[in-house]
Amino acid sequence: MLNLAQTVRALECLLAISLLVQSLEFLRIQTITQRGSVWDWQVQQADLAHSANWVQRLFQLLYRDAVHHTHLIMRVALAASLFYGVSLVSSILLFVSTLVILIRWRGAFNGGSDFMTVVILTGILIAQVAAIWVGPVLAWKAGLWYITIHTMSSYFLSGSVKLLSSDWRNGQALPYFLDGAVYGPLQPDSLFRNKPVAILCSWTFILWECSFPLVLVGPAWAIAWCLCAAVFHFLVFWHFGLNRFFWAWIASFPAIIYCSSQL
Amino acid sequence: MSLPSLSLLLVGAYFIFLLATLVLRSRTISGPWLFLLRSFFPNWRFYHRVGHLRLLYVRTAGADAQWQAWQPMTPRAKRRPLQLLHNPEINLALANQNLVEHLTTDILDMTEEQNVREFVTYQLVMRLVRHWLKGQAEKQAITQYQFQIRLVPPFEEATEETALLTSPALRWSGPC
Repeated sequence: MLNLAQTVRALECLLAISLLVQSLEFLRIQTITQRGSVWDWQVQQADLAHSANWVQRLFQLLYRDAVHHTHLIMRVALAASLFYGVSLVSSILLFVSTLVILIRWRGAFNGGSDFMTVVILTGILIAQVAAIWVGPVLAWKAGLWYITIHTMSSYFLSGSVKLLSSDWRNGQALPYFLDGAVYGPLQPDSLFRNKPVAILCSWTFILWECSFPLVLVGPAWAIAWCLCAAVFHFLVFWHFGLNRFFWAWIASFPAIIYCSSQL
Repeated sequence: MSLPSLSLLLVGAYFIFLLATLVLRSRTISGPWLFLLRSFFPNWRFYHRVGHLRLLYVRTAGADAQWQAWQPMTPRAKRRPLQLLHNPEINLALANQNLVEHLTTDILDMTEEQNVREFVTYQLVMRLVRHWLKGQAEKQAITQYQFQIRLVPPFEEATEETALLTSPALRWSGPC
């Protein structure tokens, strides 16, 4: 199916797109984090009141308007550099940059997409650092397995918690969340308000998410589940506006397809 | 046992362990740095529970000191296909909504000794309200404003009785 070199290339390119989408959005909304605006660091720095003075001073410096702007420009360049291939330096810089941005947004900007971005960046960091000792082949395998296990866990846990919830099992949860979504509320005559349709959709999502570990059966299964996942993430974007989720999870698919052929 | 069988066994055991973590109760570890670094400890439980809605409402008064009706600050937007590639406004609106939810959690968890106005979340939400009222202030004079956090039970109306916190009447000194 995909050999190691092709997998790494696909991962680099998809991660580049995901990080570019995120970084360009951060650049667009940076006025909201500037001094005197809503997310002013002068207010937010109280979150670090428990920290040592030098830590507070460090973040004070990092979040100055000009420094933060330069950081975001550098992040765009680093993300674009992934189209040419990842290196130890770029993986460390992207990891640290993500850490700095997440703290700027009190731990997370966009929830799940931040989690998955960190997972993939950790995977490539593992590959780059481990390559020093064990060589690139084994190191990349370790990094790809790290990403695959986390991605499988994300679907499995997300499906399992829904399975344990009676509101999901009886179809009440789906229209409830769609009503509260950014594009909501649903139209009064929406198909999702029809109970049998809501139950059918809910159970489809639950069973598909819970069965995600089956991707390890083989590459054909992995491709089928990943195609379903792409449609699923597009629907999540379409109904909830979560475009970052789409790109963050898509970036993990080459790792899943590769690892499915390794057992 | 062959290596692939052992690997599959380990993977199977891992997913059984994950399932057990959902069913069995465990101690919650918390701390300021853990909160700030929570993205490094992923929680994959999305939209898992039909819980109370945490909503922000705002009202203003003009020169005549008459309060207008409460308005919800729920993020709402128009869908466009290109938002798949570039969606800053909606992502920011969702981050702001998360902020409102964190303020609600802070209020629910606060002790008697704590003052809500000292919370970072309270101060940020106050700034968010001022930012949001900017457009309104350009159309009509605002002298005071007030915001309210409502904790609305599932499938119920967001009436004033669901208010968890009502800010004092705050003097309008312009947007932040």
